[in-house]
Amino acid sequence: MNRKNFLSSLLTIGVAGPVLATPDPTRTHVTIPSPATDPLPLLVPPFLRYGDTIGITCPAGDITAKEIQPAVDLIESWGFRIKIGDTIGKKDFIFGGTDEERAADLQRMLRDPELSAILCARGGYGAVHIVDSLDFSPLKAKPKWIIGFSDITVFLSHLHTNLNLASIHSKMCNSFPDDWSKAEPVQADAILSIREALTGGKMEYTVPLHPQNRAGYAKGPLVGGNLKTIISLVGTRSDIDTEGKILFVEDTGEYLYSIDRMFWHLQRTGKLDRLAGLIVGGFKVKPDDPGEEYGHSVYDIVAERVKPYSFPVCFDFPVGHQKNNFALRVGMPHTLEVKPDSVQFFSV
Amino acid sequence: MIVPPFLQSGDTIAVVCPSGFMPREKAQTCIETLQQWGYTVRIGATLDSQSENYFSGTNEERLADLQQALDDPAVNAVLCGRGGYGLSRIIDAIDFTTFRKKPKWIIGYSDVTVLHAHLFTRYTTASLHSPMAGAFNDGGAVTEGVLSLRRALAGEPSAYTCAIHPFNRRGKASAPLVGGNLSILAHLVGTPSDIDTHGKLLFLEDVGEYLYNLDRMLRQLKRSGKLAHLAGLIIGGFTDLKDTTRPFGATAEAIVSDVVSEYDYPVCFGFPVSHSPDNVALKMGVTHTLIVSDEPTLLIE
Repeated sequence: MNRKNFLSSLLTIGVAGPVLATPDPTRTHVTIPSPATDPLPLLVPPFLRYGDTIGITCPAGDITAKEIQPAVDLIESWGFRIKIGDTIGKKDFIFGGTDEERAADLQRMLRDPELSAILCARGGYGAVHIVDSLDFSPLKAKPKWIIGFSDITVFLSHLHTNLNLASIHSKMCNSFPDDWSKAEPVQADAILSIREALTGGKMEYTVPLHPQNRAGYAKGPLVGGNLKTIISLVGTRSDIDTEGKILFVEDTGEYLYSIDRMFWHLQRTGKLDRLAGLIVGGFKVKPDDPGEEYGHSVYDIVAERVKPYSFPVCFDFPVGHQKNNFALRVGMPHTLEVKPDSVQFFSV
Repeated sequence: MIVPPFLQSGDTIAVVCPSGFMPREKAQTCIETLQQWGYTVRIGATLDSQSENYFSGTNEERLADLQQALDDPAVNAVLCGRGGYGLSRIIDAIDFTTFRKKPKWIIGYSDVTVLHAHLFTRYTTASLHSPMAGAFNDGGAVTEGVLSLRRALAGEPSAYTCAIHPFNRRGKASAPLVGGNLSILAHLVGTPSDIDTHGKLLFLEDVGEYLYNLDRMLRQLKRSGKLAHLAGLIIGGFTDLKDTTRPFGATAEAIVSDVVSEYDYPVCFGFPVSHSPDNVALKMGVTHTLIVSDEPTLLIE
């Protein structure tokens, strides 16, 4: 009997299974039995308290100190201290410093005992240049929340696969409004959801109905992020196993044919076969070139690809390169319930 | 490696479009030229089809046309009219049972890399990475690329040279040749069509990609172990490259050199395989010798 069969047989007789993660009252991180196929126990960093320190670093694209200031001010107003990494303000073409500089800054933060969380200032491109050179083992002894999305999907996926570390998929410094008082309500709510995710608050999501949703109930760890990035990790040591999990995807700037090709890639690598559920966030599609009109929407593309399966599917989830990009606790167990008249998604 | 029989005068070449739509007039010169070469041409239903969208037909229609060409005992080679996108959607549904009993040359590049890789990996069968129907237009029928297809079909072993490039890494290697479009090779990672590049000569080309995405795809190949144990690397054209508003800061050649800097196999740049008239026919799966030296680079079958 192989490991997967063994575990699934345990699950069916109720011996093992996902255990609910709860905000940790003891201030030591939670280690709970792992869900389904993952051999590593789920590492949930301690939720943040007043006075805790968050590091800000630039592991991918570059950003200036001025550009992160609104985020610094707001996060400090929440009662957290900020430690700014030396990649803020650095620039090596599109990167926030050379590979060595970006790796060194993030590595310092991974080791820094004062930090409870590390916020990536922005995405862009560059995480994959340094991920293999980083030593993430300090997170085993002292887990920290790693925060970001888009290109940062590299780290969220890598940490899920290699450490089973929970992390936060959310907006980053470059999405904080210059003037908080003038922020649109949805933008403010999305940013405040980062605080909720960090402090162990109850995560609430308002998911619109879509006629192509597929009803059903799913329970499992949440994995996912930027689709193009997830695809670029296939076959690498940062690749995610999606079995028994709820997968969420979003993307920006991709052609429709490319989105279709990526969903085929997911399918052909078996990533849809044993999925618990699929959450489709925002897709900002690159317009077709003239004469190359693709003729199918993202909804159609997804609906077609998931036809052979029966897991629940919801569309237009508030995650993506958009204002309504709400924080998600990656790696943590969630439930997704899609009904004809409602979509419920909870961190359990 | 199963090498399909080379063509004889009077043999039949089927022209099909398993991916994007192609109007008949775009393939006309190709059809006439193949006839002048002494071949009979059979036109599949997916060339100049009734399709009104991006594809040359529904998945079912494209699959049926390609399947018919693969299975038809009277067809000796299958030329894909064009690439685009679409083979990924039908590759797992193709039945190669009859093809394996009577292997034939599959011809094309770009999206057709899906078929080449699949044939190499699943059926150890050689295929022809080469110009397609559009390359015959506008005087293309007498270019080196198209003429090299003619020679390849007739069974003439190839010997190509390309100019010395300052980024070349010297060395000599003899190994089976694999490769194709970089985006497609990255797209096949982890799938049943994925190529094992261990001990192979790998060639790469691409079109219309952003430099950062070129970098990302090469790193995917590297991180999935595909670059560590190559016999050699042949870099073709990366044409119509795009850059971000803020420049990436490295050329395609510099990106490749950086990614493979820790290995010591020969690397050549500027090889004539690309989305341009510089695109010679390469026999995928067949052993070649690559010689990168102070003289022009040689790739000899």
